[in-house]
Amino acid sequence: MKQGSVEAIVTGLKEAGINFISMLPDSDFTDTQKAVMADKDFKCVPVSNESIGFGVCAGAWLGGKKPALLITTDGIMASAFPLTTLNMQKNIPVLMVIPYRGSLGDGIWFMGPMGAATEPLLKDLQVAYTVISKVEEVTPAIKNAQLSAEAWLRPTAVLLTGEIIFEEA
Amino acid sequence: MDQNVLVVTPTGKTYQYWEATGREAQISQLNLGLCTPAGLGLALALPHRKVVALDGDGNLLFNLASVADLAVQNPGNLIDIVFDNECYQSCDSFPSVTSKGVNLEAIAKGCGIKNAVTIRDITRFEQTLDEALNGNELFFIVAKVEPGEEIVPLPRQEGRENKYRFVRHVENTENIRIINPYSRRRKKDFIPSD
Repeated sequence: MKQGSVEAIVTGLKEAGINFISMLPDSDFTDTQKAVMADKDFKCVPVSNESIGFGVCAGAWLGGKKPALLITTDGIMASAFPLTTLNMQKNIPVLMVIPYRGSLGDGIWFMGPMGAATEPLLKDLQVAYTVISKVEEVTPAIKNAQLSAEAWLRPTAVLLTGEIIFEEA
Repeated sequence: MDQNVLVVTPTGKTYQYWEATGREAQISQLNLGLCTPAGLGLALALPHRKVVALDGDGNLLFNLASVADLAVQNPGNLIDIVFDNECYQSCDSFPSVTSKGVNLEAIAKGCGIKNAVTIRDITRFEQTLDEALNGNELFFIVAKVEPGEEIVPLPRQEGRENKYRFVRHVENTENIRIINPYSRRRKKDFIPSD
């Protein structure tokens, strides 16, 4: 991932007040995940699948933390159940920051279905989201998403397209 | 049990029993695979508070990897109790894999949880729970129980009311604010309070 993108994400998380992060390692997000794990401002809880992360983040929010998930588009697919039975049913907020694999420009064949399913799934799961393609918009988008998550008591997501996540070849 | 102990329950009879107590410090209906993870997150968020998660075998098995994540985080303020009746009681007692020999204590120990035990009698259960409540180590207690269909009153509150009640309890006892319905940041949106 571009270094400027990592910094924009970490800055956005900090300025949004995020202090608890759960994640599953992802090849597109490794640099960001390493950066937040090395940062003492965040309590980081790696999990073995994303749906566990939703439960952990819900518990953390109930205990007064401001949680975020750094997960992949695959992770959204794996987390339809907790998003429905926990976040949607109980109105529990969580911020998701997601590398948007399968957005236009993605050249890996098996990412196509991820792109096709991600936004319809987020809409069905009542997740308010924004798609960001410019690095300078990353930090404010994360802050806005967290602001609304807190006020609406709903999960929100910031999807980061290839312009942000991929290094130039 | 101390009213300040935070209790996390799944759906079903466990929740209904605890709902009947009228206890505030109880967050309920953490559905399949989410009870132990929620207990973990809560324990990490409030390390000075004792947290008890009352999971069930079927519920835990749905996200069994959460035992590994629990072990790695190792919160000393969490007691994870799994009521193992070896079946999905709300589904006509369809057998769960623990009825076929799957050993949750062995899984927890294999993940690295030192205080993982299986208990089959009430006296030892009470002793172990006392030890866990008075200690500072993670406990994973598999409580083998018989399936039963005692009639318990249906809950009066649904999940959102339960959440608000729990959150207000945490806010009041921790002197923090969790819910910010007016977290606006633009001046023109600001509504002064009376």
